[in-house]
Amino acid sequence: MSVDIVDIRDRLGLDSRAWVRWAVPAVLIIVLYLVPQIGGSGSFRLGEYEEVLSFLIIAVALNIAMGYAGQYILGITAVFAVGAYGAILAAKYHPHGIGLVAMCIIGGVVGAVGGLIIGLPALRVGGFYLALVSLFAALAIPTVAQQWGLVGADTGIPLYAVPGFAPEINGEELYFIVVSLVLLATLFSWALVHSRVGHRFVALHTSQQLATSIGIRSYRTQLLAILISSTMAGLAGGIYVYSQQFFAPGSSSVQFAVLLLAGMTIGGMGTITGPLIGSVIILGINQFFTSFQQYNGIVFGVLLLVFAVFLPNGLMARVAVLSERLGINPPRKPRIPAGRPAAAFAGGAAGGAASGVAGGAAGGAAAVAAAPEPTAATAMTEKPAARLPSWPPVLGANDASPLVVEGAKRSFGGVTAVDDMDLTITRGQVHGLIGSNGSGKTTLLNLISRFYSLDAGQIRIGSTRLDNQRPHVVARAGVARTFQSPKLMLRETALENVIPAVELRVRCTGAESILRLPRGIRTNRQARTEALEILEALGLQHVIDQKASALPHGTRRLVELARAIALRPSFVLLDEPAAGLSPVELEMVAEVCQNLAGSGVGVLLIEHNVPMVLSIADTVTCLHQGRRLFQGTPAELRADTSVASVFLGIDEPLEASS
Amino acid sequence: MTLFLTALIAGLAVGSVYGLIALSYTVVFNSTSIFNIAQGDLMMFGVLAAYFCLDRWHLGQLVTLLVIIAVVVSLSLIEERVAVRPFVKRPVVGLGWFIATLAFSLILETVASIIYGQNPVVPIPGAFGNGTVTIAGVNVATKFILAFATMIVVMVALEVFYKRTWLGTAMRGVAEDREVAALRGIDALRISRLAFVIAGVVTALAAFVVAPIVSANVGVGLTYGLKGFIALAIGGFGSLRGCVIGGLLLGVAEQMFDLYVNANYEILAALILVLIVLAVRPAGLFGTRAVREV
Repeated sequence: MSVDIVDIRDRLGLDSRAWVRWAVPAVLIIVLYLVPQIGGSGSFRLGEYEEVLSFLIIAVALNIAMGYAGQYILGITAVFAVGAYGAILAAKYHPHGIGLVAMCIIGGVVGAVGGLIIGLPALRVGGFYLALVSLFAALAIPTVAQQWGLVGADTGIPLYAVPGFAPEINGEELYFIVVSLVLLATLFSWALVHSRVGHRFVALHTSQQLATSIGIRSYRTQLLAILISSTMAGLAGGIYVYSQQFFAPGSSSVQFAVLLLAGMTIGGMGTITGPLIGSVIILGINQFFTSFQQYNGIVFGVLLLVFAVFLPNGLMARVAVLSERLGINPPRKPRIPAGRPAAAFAGGAAGGAASGVAGGAAGGAAAVAAAPEPTAATAMTEKPAARLPSWPPVLGANDASPLVVEGAKRSFGGVTAVDDMDLTITRGQVHGLIGSNGSGKTTLLNLISRFYSLDAGQIRIGSTRLDNQRPHVVARAGVARTFQSPKLMLRETALENVIPAVELRVRCTGAESILRLPRGIRTNRQARTEALEILEALGLQHVIDQKASALPHGTRRLVELARAIALRPSFVLLDEPAAGLSPVELEMVAEVCQNLAGSGVGVLLIEHNVPMVLSIADTVTCLHQGRRLFQGTPAELRADTSVASVFLGIDEPLEASS
Repeated sequence: MTLFLTALIAGLAVGSVYGLIALSYTVVFNSTSIFNIAQGDLMMFGVLAAYFCLDRWHLGQLVTLLVIIAVVVSLSLIEERVAVRPFVKRPVVGLGWFIATLAFSLILETVASIIYGQNPVVPIPGAFGNGTVTIAGVNVATKFILAFATMIVVMVALEVFYKRTWLGTAMRGVAEDREVAALRGIDALRISRLAFVIAGVVTALAAFVVAPIVSANVGVGLTYGLKGFIALAIGGFGSLRGCVIGGLLLGVAEQMFDLYVNANYEILAALILVLIVLAVRPAGLFGTRAVREV
C-alpha cells in the first residue's frame, strides 16, 4: 500500500507535498467564514451556526484538559451551563444590558469558579473520580435549574424578551466574530500545548511518577488544566447566550456531555484539530438524521465503542499517519548538528562487552567474582576521545551537604523491604548500591524520591528534611532520578522528553511561555537548546526528532538519563541504568556517571553490573534482605567475606576466590 | 418526629439501593481495575424487565426475580465481552475503558428509551405487596425493609466470599497484580467474566428491590449509576462496608435535605455531600486504598 503511494508520488514528480499541510487548513478557514454565503444567512440559520461554533469552543476546552492533561472533566457541560447562566443573568438584570465582551468575561469567570468547585475536591483523589463527579454535576445543574425560578425554571431565560437587552452586534458580523473566537481558541490551544505549560500537562498525563520526578507539581498542574478548560467553557457559555439570547436547562443536558466526548474520541483527543472535526461529524449526524434521532444514541454508542477499542487515538491520528505516507507530512529527518559523531564511542566497546554480561542475582554474583580481572576494569575507565561537558549542579547547588539517609525503614504488609538503613551520598562521588533482586535497592531509591513514605528514619540534605516532603519538592531540591523501566512520554520525541526538565529550572511564568512574550520566547528557545546539547553530549543526536515509542530500549534509558541530567541536579539516583544496554551505551553510562561526579554531583548508582560499579564507584553499599550488609570502598568490598558468603556461599574474600 | 422517622426510613431504603450499586462497582473494580459506569443502566434494564414481568405479563415475584437476574447478567456478559475485555487483556493505561463502558451505557439507554417510550413506567407492586409493618409506632413499607435486608445480606455474603474462599481471594488479587495472579494459574479473563456475573446478580437484586420504590424511566440508569458512585466515594473506595454506609448516608442525607431544605433541589444534597467528603477525607470515610497512582 505504502509502496504504491510512494510510487505514484514519484511518478507525479512531487517530492514534497508539505504545502498541503498549510493549504488544507487555509481552505477550511476560508470556507468557515463563507458558510453564511453558502448555507444561507437568515437569522435562524446564523443562530444555528453560532450554536455549533460555541460547542466547538467547549470541545477545544475539553481537549486541553482531557486530551493533553489527561483530566477527564467530562461534565464540562456543567461549567458551560453555569457560565451561560451567569452571563445571561447579568445581561437580564443589568439596567442597560451588557455587551458581548462583558458576557464572555462573566461567563469565563463564573465557569472558572464552577470548574474549581468541582476540581479542587475531585482532584484530591484523581483518576476517574473527576470524570464521575463532574458528570454528576452535569446531571445536577440542569435538574436544579428546572426547579429554580431565578433562572426561569423549565422554560429558561429568553433574553430577546428583555427590554433592556439590545445586542449591538448581530447578523453576519456576529457570525464572523464567533468564527474568529473559535479560531482564536484553537490557536490558543496550539500555543498552550507547545509551551512549558503544555509540556507539563503531557508529562503528567503520561505518568504522575515521571512528572513529579522532574519537579512538576501534580495537583497544581491538574488544577491549572481544569481552570483553563473551565474558563474557556464558561466563555463559550457567554458567547452562546449572546448569540442565542436564550438559555434553558435543556441547553446543557448530560447527553450533550456524552456527545462532546464522542466527538473528541472520534476526531482524536490530544490533537489540535481532531476534537473540532469530530464534533462537527457528531453534530452533523445529530442534525442531519433528525427523523432518526431516537436511534442516534445507538449510532454514537457503537462509534464510541469502536473508536475506544480499535482507534483510541481517533481519526486525526490516522490522518497524520496517512499524510506522512503521502508525503504531506514529511517523515522527520534526523537532524545532525555539528557535534561528536556517535562512532566516537565505539572505542570502548570491547571493554563494555566484557562487563555487559551481568544481570539478575546470580549473574551479579558471578560478576563480583569476575570483577578484579584487569581487562574489564581498565577498559571501563578508559576515557573516550572526546570529553563530556561539565554539568555542575544548578538545583540545590547552594547547599554542598551530602544527602543523608538515617535509620530508614519501610515495610509492605508483613514484609520489611528496607530496615535500619544508613546511607550517605556525597557530592562529587559515585555511590554504588548493589544487592540481589528484592534486597531493597529500588525501595530505598523510591524512599529518597518520596514515592514511598518512610515508616521510620530520616532523609535530609544538610538541615533540609526531605522525608516529609512531596516528590516534586525532592526533585526541586536537586535530586533527580531514573526509573528501572524507563518512563518516557512515548508520543513525544526524544527532545521533547528532555525539554520539560530544563524548563523546571529556567525561570519563566506559564503565561509568558504560552503567549510568547519576550521572556517566554527566550526561555522556550533556551530549554530547547539546552536539551539538545545534553542529548548530543550523550551521542543521541540521531534520535532527537524520533518519537520515544520508536526508540530501542537502550536509547530510551539514555534519553531518561539525559532528562535527569537536564534538571542539573545536585544528586542523581540511577536505577539500573545499564540494564539491557549495548556495550557502547554501557560505556556511555559509566562515563556519564563519572562525569557527573566530576562536575560535583552526588551519584547513587543501583546496578547489577558489579564490575561497572566497582570500576567507577567511590563507595559501595551492598544490601541483603533490606539491610545493609556491607559498606566501603570497592577495594574493601573485594576483600570482604560477608558479601562473598551471601552471594556465593563461600567464606573467603572475593580476591581469594577469584 | 414521625416525619423525621419516615424520612429516615425512606432514606435507608433508597440508600440501600445506592449501596447495592456501589457494591457492584466494587466487585468489578476488584477484579478488573475498571469502573463500570454502565452499572446503573444495567439496573435500569432490570427495572424494565420487572415492569414487563409484573405489569404486562403478570408473572409471579420469584419468576420475575429470575428473569431480572437473567437479563442483567446476560447484558453484563455482553458488556464484558465488547467493552471491557479489550482493556483487561492489555495493561490498563489511560481511561479508554471509561469511554468504552460509557459508550455501552449510552447504547443501553437508547435501547431502553425505544422500549420504554417517553412515559415513565407505572409503579410496580413490591415482593410483599404494598403492605406496611408498624415498627416503634411508625409505619414502614415492606418494600423498604426488603431493600435494606437485601443489601445487608449481599454485603455479608460478599465479605465472606472475599475473606473466606480461595476464589474470592483470587478475585481480589487479579486487579492488584495481574502477572503474579497469572503465575498462580489464575486466568484474568475468566475472573473478569466472573466478576461481571457476580456484579450482575447484585445489580439485578438492586433492580428487584428498587422497582417498587421508583416509577422507573430511562433517567433512572444514569441517576442511580452516578449516585452509586457517590455512595462509594463517600464510603471509601475498595471497602465493602464503606459502600454500604456511604449508600445509607447518601440516601438519608437526600431525604433530610428534602424534609428540611427543599425537595426540589434534592440532587444538590448528593453533590454537596460528595464534594465536602472528598475535600476533607479524599479516601472516603472508610477507604484505605488510594486510587491515585504513585
